[in-house]
Amino acid sequence: MTRTGDDQILVEQFKQGDESAFDKIVKEFSANIAVLANRLLGWPGEVEDVVQDVFLAAFTGLKRFRGDCSLKSWLFTITINKCRSYRYRQMLRLKIFSRAADKDSSLSACAADQRPIDSEIFERVRRAMKTLSPKYREPIVLRYLQELPNEQICRILGLSENALQVRLNRARKHLQEKLKDLIE
Amino acid sequence: MTEDKIKNLLQVADRAAGEPGPTHISAAAIRRHAGHRQLIINIAAPAAIAAILLFASIIVIQAARPHKPSEQKQIVSLQQELKHLQAETDAVLNLVQQVLEEERQTERLNDLQATLASIPDPIEEAQRQVDKTAFVLVYQADRLYRQSNQTDSAVHAYNQVIKLFPQTRWAEVARQRLTEIENRKPNEPHSQGGQRWKPRNV
Repeated sequence: MTRTGDDQILVEQFKQGDESAFDKIVKEFSANIAVLANRLLGWPGEVEDVVQDVFLAAFTGLKRFRGDCSLKSWLFTITINKCRSYRYRQMLRLKIFSRAADKDSSLSACAADQRPIDSEIFERVRRAMKTLSPKYREPIVLRYLQELPNEQICRILGLSENALQVRLNRARKHLQEKLKDLIE
Repeated sequence: MTEDKIKNLLQVADRAAGEPGPTHISAAAIRRHAGHRQLIINIAAPAAIAAILLFASIIVIQAARPHKPSEQKQIVSLQQELKHLQAETDAVLNLVQQVLEEERQTERLNDLQATLASIPDPIEEAQRQVDKTAFVLVYQADRLYRQSNQTDSAVHAYNQVIKLFPQTRWAEVARQRLTEIENRKPNEPHSQGGQRWKPRNV
């Protein structure tokens, strides 16, 4: 049985009242969702709140899941939406408390220092990604870090193939400008 | 070419960032959260509606009060002035009523005095009755002496008047008649002489 087939069975079991099915879904997808959220949010390190929100939304909406796409794509869509909300809340918090920005950067810097790879490159890329708006960052993350096929990205983001290509081009251009010295 | 480099840089950065912190998400915790959220929604929604209704009611009530603070002050001062004027009016009315009451009492007193004045003095009345009785006795005695020649009866009657009503002027008249009778007795009978005596003051 395929992966998608297994997911469909889990969804059906959950719809029929078998709550252990949801346990299996959480166990199977929580790591993937955490990684995606971490990348979408610019590697903050701590994404537990976002992941919890994602599964909370999944628990509430799973009975309405029609199976038009894979469960993973559906969960990724929820993750993208939750990350947007999270970033929006963060932005509001930053506006209200300017100190939050320093805290955020210090936390990220701390995480970077713990890595053996060149922290300079990480910091530059992180900053460059942060300057991208979500509508350009999401395709970049899904394409180059999650390495999803374009078709799936289009489904997750609700975009046409052309729109996706346009966004990817603009995002690459932006990053190329920001990371010119590293690319050349 | 550039795309590959960008991809490479991103993947290097992603590896440098490492895996996200461990998530301790469990399905049981999610179910608990969902239950709490549902409870909050169930409570919060009616509470929010109630709060909105309350707020709207307060706004409507406030809007229904058309007076501005300055106008309210003016109204308060006017109300106070009105109360003051009303108190003054009440005081004047009380005074007028007191004056009218005094006038009424004075009129009543005057009426009573007039009524009292119209009542005859009992002493005078008694005096008048005494005088009248003495006159009647003298008149009767005169008739007995002048018309009926009953000199003894007449003398007796004159003596009664003198005895019973000595303070009256008729007692004096009775004395005069007795003197006349005494003077006439030896010389002429009282029926002679042609003139008939008539009592005075009748």
